[in-house]
Amino acid sequence: MNDKIVVQVENLTKRFGTFTAVNNVSLSVRQGEIFGFLGANGAGKTTVIRMLCGLLLPSSGMGKVAGYDILTQPERIKRAIGYMSQKFSLYPDMTGRENLYFYGAAYGLGRKLIGERVMALSERLSLREFLDRPSKGLPIGWRQRLALAVSTLHHPKILFLDEPTGGVDPAFRRTFWSTLYDLAEEGATIFVTTHYMDEAEYCRRISIMHQGQIIELGTPHELVKKHRAANLEDMFVDLIRKRESDNA
Amino acid sequence: MFRAYSALIRKEFIQVSRDRNMLRLIFLMPVVQLLVLGYAVNLDVKKISLDVYDFNRSQTSRELVDAMKAGDYFIPGEEGQTKERRPLWHLADRFQDGSAQMAVIIPEDFSERLTRGENVTIGLMADGTDANSARIGLGYTAQIVDRYAWKHTGLSPPIGIRSAFLYNPETESVYYMVPGIVATLLTMVTIMLTSMAIVREREMGTLEQLMVTPISGFVLLMGKITTFAILGLLEMVIALAVGVLWFGIPFVGSPLLLLALAVLFLISTLGMGMFFSTITSSQQQAMFLAFFSTIFAMLTSGFFTPISNMPQWMQYITYLNPMRYFMTIMRGILMKGAGIADLAPDIIALAVYGSVIFSLSVIRFKKRTE
Repeated sequence: MNDKIVVQVENLTKRFGTFTAVNNVSLSVRQGEIFGFLGANGAGKTTVIRMLCGLLLPSSGMGKVAGYDILTQPERIKRAIGYMSQKFSLYPDMTGRENLYFYGAAYGLGRKLIGERVMALSERLSLREFLDRPSKGLPIGWRQRLALAVSTLHHPKILFLDEPTGGVDPAFRRTFWSTLYDLAEEGATIFVTTHYMDEAEYCRRISIMHQGQIIELGTPHELVKKHRAANLEDMFVDLIRKRESDNA
Repeated sequence: MFRAYSALIRKEFIQVSRDRNMLRLIFLMPVVQLLVLGYAVNLDVKKISLDVYDFNRSQTSRELVDAMKAGDYFIPGEEGQTKERRPLWHLADRFQDGSAQMAVIIPEDFSERLTRGENVTIGLMADGTDANSARIGLGYTAQIVDRYAWKHTGLSPPIGIRSAFLYNPETESVYYMVPGIVATLLTMVTIMLTSMAIVREREMGTLEQLMVTPISGFVLLMGKITTFAILGLLEMVIALAVGVLWFGIPFVGSPLLLLALAVLFLISTLGMGMFFSTITSSQQQAMFLAFFSTIFAMLTSGFFTPISNMPQWMQYITYLNPMRYFMTIMRGILMKGAGIADLAPDIIALAVYGSVIFSLSVIRFKKRTE
């Protein structure tokens, strides 16, 4: 990990009509970092990610991803990032291999290069026996791995993962995270949202979002110490509960 | 970009080929529709525009003409005996530009022969392109003439009718139906496939995955459209093959011209499909819009009811319907052997329509939401 900042946003805000989904969010992420994005459902995590990926235009604020402006250069950003959405993003009626070749071509890779990378990825993610089955029949854990393979095929500098392990059993989650560690070691920056506190522990730094705002940001260790909690989960639950009662 | 484009087309074909219902929709539907409609549809026709060529110009002949105009079966077109006598060949022009659909020709010796109790024959000419109207018009005429003869002579009808049809001498209504059905199918399938395919991807979440790739919105749409254009044309070929081989419809004009103009027509329907996908959020909505617009297109295309029979305000509405133009093109090429010059107004209308709706949907289909 070095000190190069690859994601930086300042006062990012997104309003849908009168509802403010994201309110004045500022943060920065260094290259090679695994940055955890925590928060309850509806806290605004997905909206932030979609703005960073160039899928959604911010109402105000500014930001840079991989050196490109999120307001004016979304297409540049798209070449530099990988994105795995909450939803199942593979074509269910196509096999894993067909999905990989399709998305590879979408990034402009040639068939030969895709073939090499599919080999390498299926090795790393132990996907080989699942590559030629229609992806709709696959257990969710394998589908998520395939989706990860799809979003890393073009060797992105930054990987945005929105709830990548939702509904996946613990054994799968562990191997999934060890893959993320490997990718980070190789220099990729990983921006990940999660519900699971044990996963949050794996992150270099985490931020906690509540009602569109970032209310805490730091290493898991720092945050637990600051709030004098027994662990990350207690800290999170207390923090959210306190906020809710303040609002009431 | 070409890599992404061809990958998109390959992907769409893989998906269509794995979807049994889609395959049925595309390949079985035209055949079934064609067989059902080709045999089953029989239409009630009124207000056939009738030209009269009365060479007898007697009280008797006028009574016959009045009897024909009495109901609402016929509406008077040109009276051949007024002004200086119009030559009969003038009728061909009247049929060509659609101002007359039928003409009755009463011979000079009509009243004399009738008074003498001799047999007399009147002539009936009809534009056979609209075989259904032509045949029904002939039926009406026969009844009216029978009744008239009975009243005048009290005898079994001494008045014969000699009828002839221009353009579609066999007056097979399938000749008329098949181009209509083919145009309808083409409209329905292309609008529906396009709008549903895009909305389905949005529902599944794969559209968002496509949006984060560097593929441009234009290439994305082109990839979809190319696939459905190919399927649409394939569909048209199948339907026409059934029409020609099974129903024996004529194919007088140039197949190449028809294919080229079908592509032009598809730009409009595919554009509509794309446009619908940008204003709907679920497959049901897209399907509903596709059905609604297909029915609208069918009813205002002159498929069932000739456009000239519609009220004036309705006739203006039909200009909004791209199928209206393609219907004229199809019938013209298949049955009259029409060429580019004959169809120029319809070709221009389709080109304008297509480019407007197509650009509109490309503009609306943004990769980034506000």
